[in-house]
Amino acid sequence: MAKVTYSGVRESKPGRLNDLGTTGQKASEDFKKGCLKRADRSFAQGLQCQQINSLAALMSLEDAVFISHSPQGCVGCSIMAVDMYRVGQIHRGIRNVKNPHLIVSNIDQKSVVFGGEKKLREAVEKAVTRYNPKLAFVFASCASGIIGDDIDAICADLQAEYPDTLIIPIHCEGFKSKICASGFDAAFISINKYILKHQKVEKEAGLINLFAPTTVSYADQKEMERMLQLLGAKVNYIPFYSSLEKIKKIPAAEASTSICKVFADEFMKTLYEEYDIPYSHTVMPIGIRNTDKWYRGIAKVIGKEKEVEEIIAKEHERIEPLVKKIRDRLQGKRVFICGGTGRSFAAAALIDDFGMELVGLETPTYDDDAQVDIDYLNGIHKEFVVDIANMQPFEQVNLVNKLKPDAFIGVPEWAAKLGVPTTHVLDGKRPTMGYDGLLFLGNKIADQLENPGFNKKLAAHVKLPYKESWYQEDAFKYIIREGGN
Amino acid sequence: MSNVTEFPKGGCVLAGINSVLGAINRVCPIYHSGPGCCMQTTASDAGQSGHKSSCFVSAVSIPSSNMLEKEVVFGGTNKLRTTIQGAIDIIDADAYFVLTGCTAGIIGDDIASVTNEFAEKGIEIYPIETPGFTGDSNLGYETVWNTFLDKVIEKDVPKDEKLVNIFGIIPYHDPFWSGTLEEIDRILSRLGLRVNTFFTKGQGIEDIKKSSAAALNIIVNPWLFKGPAAKYESKFGVPSLRIPGLFVGATDTSKFVRSVGEALHLDKDLVEKVIADEEKYVYNYLGQAIGVLSWKRFAVIADANNAVGFTRYLANDYSFTPVLVIVSEPIFRPEDKETIIKEISDLEYAKPPKILFLTDQYEINSAIREEEEEITLIVGSSNDREIALEKDSQFILGAFPMSERLIFNRTYAGYRGSLTFTEDIYDNN
Repeated sequence: MAKVTYSGVRESKPGRLNDLGTTGQKASEDFKKGCLKRADRSFAQGLQCQQINSLAALMSLEDAVFISHSPQGCVGCSIMAVDMYRVGQIHRGIRNVKNPHLIVSNIDQKSVVFGGEKKLREAVEKAVTRYNPKLAFVFASCASGIIGDDIDAICADLQAEYPDTLIIPIHCEGFKSKICASGFDAAFISINKYILKHQKVEKEAGLINLFAPTTVSYADQKEMERMLQLLGAKVNYIPFYSSLEKIKKIPAAEASTSICKVFADEFMKTLYEEYDIPYSHTVMPIGIRNTDKWYRGIAKVIGKEKEVEEIIAKEHERIEPLVKKIRDRLQGKRVFICGGTGRSFAAAALIDDFGMELVGLETPTYDDDAQVDIDYLNGIHKEFVVDIANMQPFEQVNLVNKLKPDAFIGVPEWAAKLGVPTTHVLDGKRPTMGYDGLLFLGNKIADQLENPGFNKKLAAHVKLPYKESWYQEDAFKYIIREGGN
Repeated sequence: MSNVTEFPKGGCVLAGINSVLGAINRVCPIYHSGPGCCMQTTASDAGQSGHKSSCFVSAVSIPSSNMLEKEVVFGGTNKLRTTIQGAIDIIDADAYFVLTGCTAGIIGDDIASVTNEFAEKGIEIYPIETPGFTGDSNLGYETVWNTFLDKVIEKDVPKDEKLVNIFGIIPYHDPFWSGTLEEIDRILSRLGLRVNTFFTKGQGIEDIKKSSAAALNIIVNPWLFKGPAAKYESKFGVPSLRIPGLFVGATDTSKFVRSVGEALHLDKDLVEKVIADEEKYVYNYLGQAIGVLSWKRFAVIADANNAVGFTRYLANDYSFTPVLVIVSEPIFRPEDKETIIKEISDLEYAKPPKILFLTDQYEINSAIREEEEEITLIVGSSNDREIALEKDSQFILGAFPMSERLIFNRTYAGYRGSLTFTEDIYDNN
C-alpha cells in the first residue's frame, strides 16, 4: 500500500473528534467499543483557526519575514505571538526589543475578483528588498484559498527570482480544520518540504531537538534545558527564538521531544521515518507525575534510564516536602479544568499531586492519545464530566454553574464571573513546567483558593451574557450527530 | 482598497464592526465566517488597545457558524440558521447583528434572507453584509452606523434640544475611548446637555434608536463619519458639528466647548463660566510643577485624531517643539489629508512640523530613523517602540496598537486628560 502523506489536517486521523459531551468512564468505554463518532455543534461560539497557530509557531524566528496572504484582519491574533516575542526578548536580557517582520498582502475586493497574485508578489518583493531575509514564510488564509490563489506556484516562481531567500508557502487555510493545532503541523510540513528537504546530515553527538510553542516562558525553557543537560544532552530549542541555522540542525539530532502534546508530534514522527531520529511523545511536563513521565520518555530514547532515575529521585527528595505543604492546603478540593490538549491533561494530572478531585474536564479533541490520559484519570477520580470543546464558554459556564467546583483551572474570564476561584495554566511569561514550575503553580492555585474575594465580588456585580434558562438546560444540547465535520 | 502593509494597525471591516457592537450594552454579534474570525477581529482591535474587551460577548464568546470546507463548497446558510437560533435561545441580548466574514462574502451566502426569517418572528436582528476584505476597522465603524441609520434608528422621535450625539472615537480601536468619551460627557454635561456616547454609561440599542432626537451630532475626528453624518442630516434632520481633531488640553478643549455653545446657541455666560472653571483647574496643577518636565523636541506617530490632539497640546499648550508627525492610519481622500495637515500645521507660536501619511511600519521606521532634526520624545504605538529604542529617544505609549498598558478609563483628551498626558511624559531618567 502506498504511504499516505499526512495533510496537516488533524481531523484526517481516524477516531479523532472535536464535539462530544460525556463523562470520563463513558468516554473510555465508548472509545474502546468504537462508538465515538464525529459530531458537530448546531450552535457554537468562535474557534481559534489554524492560521493563528501557524503564524504563532514561527513568529520568533529571527532571520525571517512572515507574509500573511490575507485580508488585514487575519493578522489580528499575531499580536499574541508578537507580544510573546517582545516579552521573551526582555526576559532574555535584550534591551532594544525588536518587532517581528510581519507583512500582510491585504487581499481586498479587487483581489477577490481578479486574484491576489499581484499583492502577494508585491509583499514578497518588499520582504526581500527591505530585509534580505534567509526565510520568507507565506501563510495562506480562508480568502486566498477560496479565491484559488496558487501560493505554491507563485512562491516557486518568486524563488527563482529571489534565490537568496527561501520562500516557503504554508497551507493553513482556516476553513480546512476545526483543530487549531493543525496549523502547527502545516508549518512543520513546510519546514520539512522546503528547508530540510529529506536530506540527511551528519549527526551531532548528544544533540536533542526540543520543540516548543511560543506559549512556553523563558523560565520554562531554562528549566527544560537544565533537565536535559543533566542527562548530558545538548539542546536545539526550536522553533521559538531560533533561526534557519537551528532549523537546519534538526536532522543532526540524535533524538527529539516536545514540550506540548500537539506541537511537533506529527513532525517528530516524520523525523523518525525520514531521518531516523527517535523521539519521545509523552505529556506536557506539568506536575510531578507528568514531569517524571516526560523526563523518563526522553531519557529512554537516549539510553539514560539509569541516570534519569537518579535525578528524579533527587528531585523528588527536594520537591516532595514542598509539594506536601501545598497538598495540605488543597487536599480534597474539587476542580474543573479547561485548556488546550497539552495543558488540560497536564493540569488534570497535576491536581493529583495536590490530592484534588477532578469534577470536569474541557479539552479540544478526543483521540487515542486522549484515551490514555482519560484512562489514567479514571483510575484516580470517581466520576468527572468531559466536554470535548475548543473553548465554547457557553457550555463551560453551564457545567461550572452546575458542578460548583471549589477551583477552576484554565482561561479565567467566565468562571471568574461565576465567583469561582480561578488559576490559569497557560502563562507564557512565568514558570509552569518541570519540578519548580509545579511549586509556582501549586502556590498560585492555593493562594487564589484561600483568597477568592475578587471573583466573588466580581460575580456579584458582573453578569455573564447568558439567559438564566440556559443554566437549566443540558450543556451538550447543541452537539448533534448528523453533519459532523 | 487596501495596500500591502508591514505590521498593520487594526483589523478588517469585521474588526471595526465588532469593536462598535461590543461596546454597546447587551448587543450580540453573530458571525457567519471562518473559524478564526471571532478571535482575530477581537484581537485586531480590543486585543491591542489596552487589554479590555467587551464585557458582554467578545472573541470566543461570540456566536459563530465557523464555516469549514463543507460550508465553503455547499454554502453555509443552514449552519447560519442554527447558529442564529442557538444565539437567540441562550444569549440574553437586546439586539443581534449577523456579520459577514470573507468566506461567506466570497461564496455569496444570502445572509439577509436567513436573518429576515428571524426578524419576521419579532426578533430584533439585523444583517450587516459587508465582508471583512472590503476594508479596515475605520470602515467597520462607519459600516455599523450606516446599518443603524438604514435599519435601526427610529424616525419621528420628538426632538430634544439638549441632546447631543458623539461620534468619531472608535471603541476598542482608540485605546483611550472610554476615558475620552467620559471626559467629553463630563464637560458637555456641565453645559446642561445630555450626551449620547453610545458606548459608556451602559447605553444600549434603545439610545441608538432614539438618537434621531438629538439637536446636534458632534463628530470628534478630522475625517471619519462623513457619509453617516450626511445621512443623519438628510434622513433625521440632525445637523453635524465637526471638531477636526481630538482636543487635548485647555486651549483646544475650550475651543471645542465654545463651538458647541455656538452651534446650540447656549447661554454664553454659562459657556464662559464652565471654561474659566475648567481652565483654572488645569492651570492650578500645571502651575505646581513648573520646570519638572525637560524641554522636548517631539515626534508623534498616531491615528489622525490623536496625532492632531497630541501635537497641538504639546506645541501650543506645553511649548515643546514639534519635529515630525506621522499619521499612521490609512487616509485615502486628498481633502481629508488637507484637513489633517491644516490642523497639525496651524499652530499658535511653534513652527509647523514635517507631516507624513504612512501606514507601513518599515516606512514609519525609516522616516524616524532618517529624520535629521533631533527628536527627544516620541509618542506612538507599541509597534513604534522599536524605532524609539533604536533612536534612544524617550517613548510614550499613547497610540493604537497598545499592548504594554492596561487602560480602563484613562485618557489624554479634554481638560483633565491633558494632565494625565503630562504626568506620563514626566521622566526621571
